[in-house]
Amino acid sequence: MIFLKRQLPLAITFIMGIAFALQYYIPHPVSEEAITSVSKWMQIISGFALLLGVASLFHVHAVKIKRQVPGWGYSLVLYLGIVITILVGFWGKGEVRVDGAQTAFGWLYDYMMVPLQGTMFSILAFFIASAAYRAFRARSREASVLLIAAVIVMMGRVPLGQFLLPWTWDVTQWLLNVMNSAVRRAILIGVSMGSVALSLKIILGIERSYLGGGKEQ
Amino acid sequence: MKAFARRMIGIDRRIIFLLIAAATLLPLLKPFGLPIKVSPEVKAVYDYIEKLPERSVFLISFDFDPSSKPELEPQAVALLRHAFRKNLRVIGMTHWLTGTGLADGVFSNAAAEYGKVRGKDFVFLGWSPGAGALIISMGQDLYTAFPSDYSKTPTLGMPVLEGVRNLRDVNYMVSLAAGSSGIEMWYVFGKDKYRFEMAGGATGVIAPGLYPFLRSGQINGLIGGLQGAAEYETLIGQKGTAVAGMDAQSATHMVIIVLVILCNVFYFALRGEKGRPA
Repeated sequence: MIFLKRQLPLAITFIMGIAFALQYYIPHPVSEEAITSVSKWMQIISGFALLLGVASLFHVHAVKIKRQVPGWGYSLVLYLGIVITILVGFWGKGEVRVDGAQTAFGWLYDYMMVPLQGTMFSILAFFIASAAYRAFRARSREASVLLIAAVIVMMGRVPLGQFLLPWTWDVTQWLLNVMNSAVRRAILIGVSMGSVALSLKIILGIERSYLGGGKEQ
Repeated sequence: MKAFARRMIGIDRRIIFLLIAAATLLPLLKPFGLPIKVSPEVKAVYDYIEKLPERSVFLISFDFDPSSKPELEPQAVALLRHAFRKNLRVIGMTHWLTGTGLADGVFSNAAAEYGKVRGKDFVFLGWSPGAGALIISMGQDLYTAFPSDYSKTPTLGMPVLEGVRNLRDVNYMVSLAAGSSGIEMWYVFGKDKYRFEMAGGATGVIAPGLYPFLRSGQINGLIGGLQGAAEYETLIGQKGTAVAGMDAQSATHMVIIVLVILCNVFYFALRGEKGRPA
């Protein structure tokens, strides 16, 4: 069993990792055919990952409801939401509209999902304003620089700010294109190098946490 | 003064919520309609589409869901209006499953405005799993990745896809993204290998993070947030929800700036006082 749980996944990871890192540089028809087939496989596996996610969500919230942990009512609402949506979806064969007329599934999407998600996101504006009032203070030199930059960008990114202080537009463009780009680029390079290092560790079998399991790994 | 500052610094947050609500609602009821300045990064997207010959292939990926609708839907509408007005062949798709219905609605409405026919002038491919793998699959063979479109019509033989085999045949691509499975992924798995020109449209939160891609030429333009959408609406001369929303955004920004300034005034008034947070 240890072969199936350990050696085989490590071997598959090593072979596929090396093969498809090299594939990028080999524009031969055989290589192109290989990436076409593998990308199909990856799509199929992603579909199963979605099913796994839904199954896991069901399991987590079923346990919460069964044990009646604090806030289990929310889990019940979520459970009902998923079950009703799935049933309505199957009943309407997944169609949002039939001959131009909205189906029950389409109604659930347009009048439940869209406003609920929109509401969740719009609430952020209120909390950001409240958090900015309480936390955005010039406690240090660095915090003061951040504060000044934020106020300039907030002015420069809206017509009223540009009207009241026209110079904020140019300063905002400079901040975004020069200062922000430089910092973001440094972060991106760091993250990318970390990703390359982690990928190599996984391909070479040094990093094995993705195999799961405990001490026997 | 110190007693007042102490009271103000601990102000009930519901008062702040009310101020933000008023700053959002009042300009929507009585807009002040200030002019919108157009940034070079938005103009670059407009110019590229403007220069495309008729019946060029324009791919638009709706990589967002309803939570980002207020910012990204106006961008999508403005881009589609421009593309349909230029008589481009438009291919739509999404990497976000929960955004599929929204994207189809936006597509259908914009197409109806210009009398465009599904399958002939545009196609909405819908959603398929895989994210990066899906892009590779589209880059290899579009018909394998999407054998049928969102309305279950087979893609092979569709007049809108005539001469299109894979992503190499796309003339221009824009990803409207609200997070991962968006612009960066389209660049890494798509443009880098299959060599098509692309731009990005993003929410105001993630747009600053995309400037390195813009500066390096990995994307040729960037539409950022509601302001970016308003700029695009100004460029195409069709003012919509983005321009209308900019007055509300202006007012809320001003309220937040005033609140931050006040909070710092009170903070400095109380600094050094025993028991006060430094």
